Amino acid sequence: MDDEDELPILTAVSSSARQLYLLLRCINFSEKAHVQINEEGLKFSVDEASVMEGSAFLDKSLFTTYTFRAPQPPQHSQHSNSDDEDEHLSATPTFQISLPSLLETLQIFGLTDPNNNRPPWARDNPTSTAFSNNVLGMNNMCRISYDSPGSPLSIILTEATIRTTCNLSTYEPAFAEEIPFDRQSLAFKTIMRGSWLFDAISELASTTPERLTLVARMSHGKPYFALSSSGSLGSARVEFNNNPRGPGRAPPPPPTNANANPDDPLTQPNLLETFQLSDPDTTLRSTYKFALIQKAARAMSVSTKVSIRADTQGVLSLQFMIEVESGNVSFVDFRFVPLVEDDEEGGEGMDVDETMGGRSEDEGGTDDDDEDM
Amino acid sequence: MRFKASIQNINTFTKLTASLNSLGPLAWVKLSDDQVCFTIIPEQGTQVWAVLSIDTIFETYTVQSAAGNVINLEVPLTSLTRALKSALNATSAQIRLTKKDNIPLLALTIVTTSASNSYAAFPTASANNNNEDGVDAPFDSAFGGGSRETIVTQEVPVRVLGPDTVAGLHEPQCREPDVHIILPPLLQLKSISDRFTKLALAGAKSGSGTTAARTRLELAANMHGCLRMSIKTDAMSISSVWTDLNNPELDPNQVAGGEIGLAEHPSTRMKQLGTADGRSDEGWASVRIDGRDWGKVMSVGRLGGRVIACFCHDHALILYVYLPNENGEDESVLTYYVSSYSA
Repeated sequence: MDDEDELPILTAVSSSARQLYLLLRCINFSEKAHVQINEEGLKFSVDEASVMEGSAFLDKSLFTTYTFRAPQPPQHSQHSNSDDEDEHLSATPTFQISLPSLLETLQIFGLTDPNNNRPPWARDNPTSTAFSNNVLGMNNMCRISYDSPGSPLSIILTEATIRTTCNLSTYEPAFAEEIPFDRQSLAFKTIMRGSWLFDAISELASTTPERLTLVARMSHGKPYFALSSSGSLGSARVEFNNNPRGPGRAPPPPPTNANANPDDPLTQPNLLETFQLSDPDTTLRSTYKFALIQKAARAMSVSTKVSIRADTQGVLSLQFMIEVESGNVSFVDFRFVPLVEDDEEGGEGMDVDETMGGRSEDEGGTDDDDEDM
Repeated sequence: MRFKASIQNINTFTKLTASLNSLGPLAWVKLSDDQVCFTIIPEQGTQVWAVLSIDTIFETYTVQSAAGNVINLEVPLTSLTRALKSALNATSAQIRLTKKDNIPLLALTIVTTSASNSYAAFPTASANNNNEDGVDAPFDSAFGGGSRETIVTQEVPVRVLGPDTVAGLHEPQCREPDVHIILPPLLQLKSISDRFTKLALAGAKSGSGTTAARTRLELAANMHGCLRMSIKTDAMSISSVWTDLNNPELDPNQVAGGEIGLAEHPSTRMKQLGTADGRSDEGWASVRIDGRDWGKVMSVGRLGGRVIACFCHDHALILYVYLPNENGEDESVLTYYVSSYSA
């Protein structure tokens, strides 16, 4: 009861709802999103059947003001979610909200103003002058507040003389565990441009494959990374090759696969910025459900860089660096549980996969050899 | 029975019929000496009673009939709108009531003048050979200065209604409104209400699933220039508040009972309640309406008129849409009667 008198757990003001919208849109593949609030920012995460999860972190630097007050540990079950939650959970409030509703709310203004499509002299009712907030791009102030556990998450948007208040019902969190990803025992890590990954995935998507296999190895001291898809309509592969790094060697013409990247590799000396394999002597190969990877496509298309990591268990982590308007960067994370290979699949699928895998290895090898010569 | 007029303002007429058509397929059109009335009475949803001065859309207008120069017609709006759309680029258009094989119809005669370079005979050839002006010029002069007229006649079958058929139709009566307010631009209102409707549908999908597909918008206004639009679903509640709108002053000459009537008018009482920032819970007159029906009503926004909304708390919402016209007098008005759902 004394909680009622206290200040709200969170008040955050952003001068641009659009930034928040662009980030949250990346993980819009599920009806409900988990929200975690702490001193550093707001974390929105969604999951799909516990084999994929995506999260967007709204750092407090995205907000002009960000005030977080950790709630008191609940003494009694006076609030609905204090019964069965541990104390550490109430220290970082966690709840679920409807993500599509939040996204719709964030784009209520600006994007839909019919006047925006017209030149100023054709507007019915001029909504801005030379000195109003519109010209500063500050026309969508957004205020997020969360009073106490169990209360709705409020979004207040103001534009000129219109004020919109949206109260999103908060629900009990459904999952508390993330997909475990062991940063300490990475099997593989590479960093590249997000748009290249996006191009590769859209290229492969044209055959609506079922599975995506990630292949990484060192061949002749040169990183080799490939994405190959397979499904009932066939299989396809996109390879990413770096130019040889050896010092003092004249760079030969780039041997990249035609559909691997349309950009001119000469201007971008290294396709893969970082390339680490825990065991350079073996080939890393792990398979994921293509449809799930594709859900990260929005994030791929808007990100500047992506870090692709796999741990020794095969869990894949895609971390996207997205530049927001203010010039600083935000991160959107995805994790995927690998498909168990060659065990549960039917004989046919296994055959395809094996031939595919075998051939890809051989061809990749010869290609690389040729290039090196 | 004679009706003949040339359409002065094709664009306005088209937008008008198109927005009326979104509410119902058939219009009762009453043509008389001094005004044209369009009335839509759909089975469900909002009624429209539009009274237009002749010169809003017509000029050189003649109407004659045995029943005091009044003609009542039942007009299919879809066909009329389609016919008018083909007249959008016309130099002139005429409409008249005629008969063909004993079927009464409105004949729309559209005259279009083609520009010199775009007539059908040499459409691209002349454009491509623009350099050879010497060759083209003789042709242009031969075809009368390079322009030619196209005349298209569109016929819209209608039904003539007898005076006794329409005698039973009356404009709805309503009690004095609690709040009257000038609405913000309808297109802005529409874009937000459409989003609300979309939100409610998205919420219904994720929610229980038993929620009816209907979306109930709550619209409220006070006498201090505030308008509030809100919608509630399982997943969320959202409301937008407009402030700094205008509550027009009532003219004592127009209110029953004059000055005394004005003093006792519900809106005078509502002025005592509520605040101008829209944060107070008091002083709101609200109605609950169907989101999709509201979207159709808002489509009149393309006519760009001034709109006064009259709120009868928990009962009805009446919108007066004043069409702009050049001389500023004799305004044409469209009246929308929207009924409120109870709770």
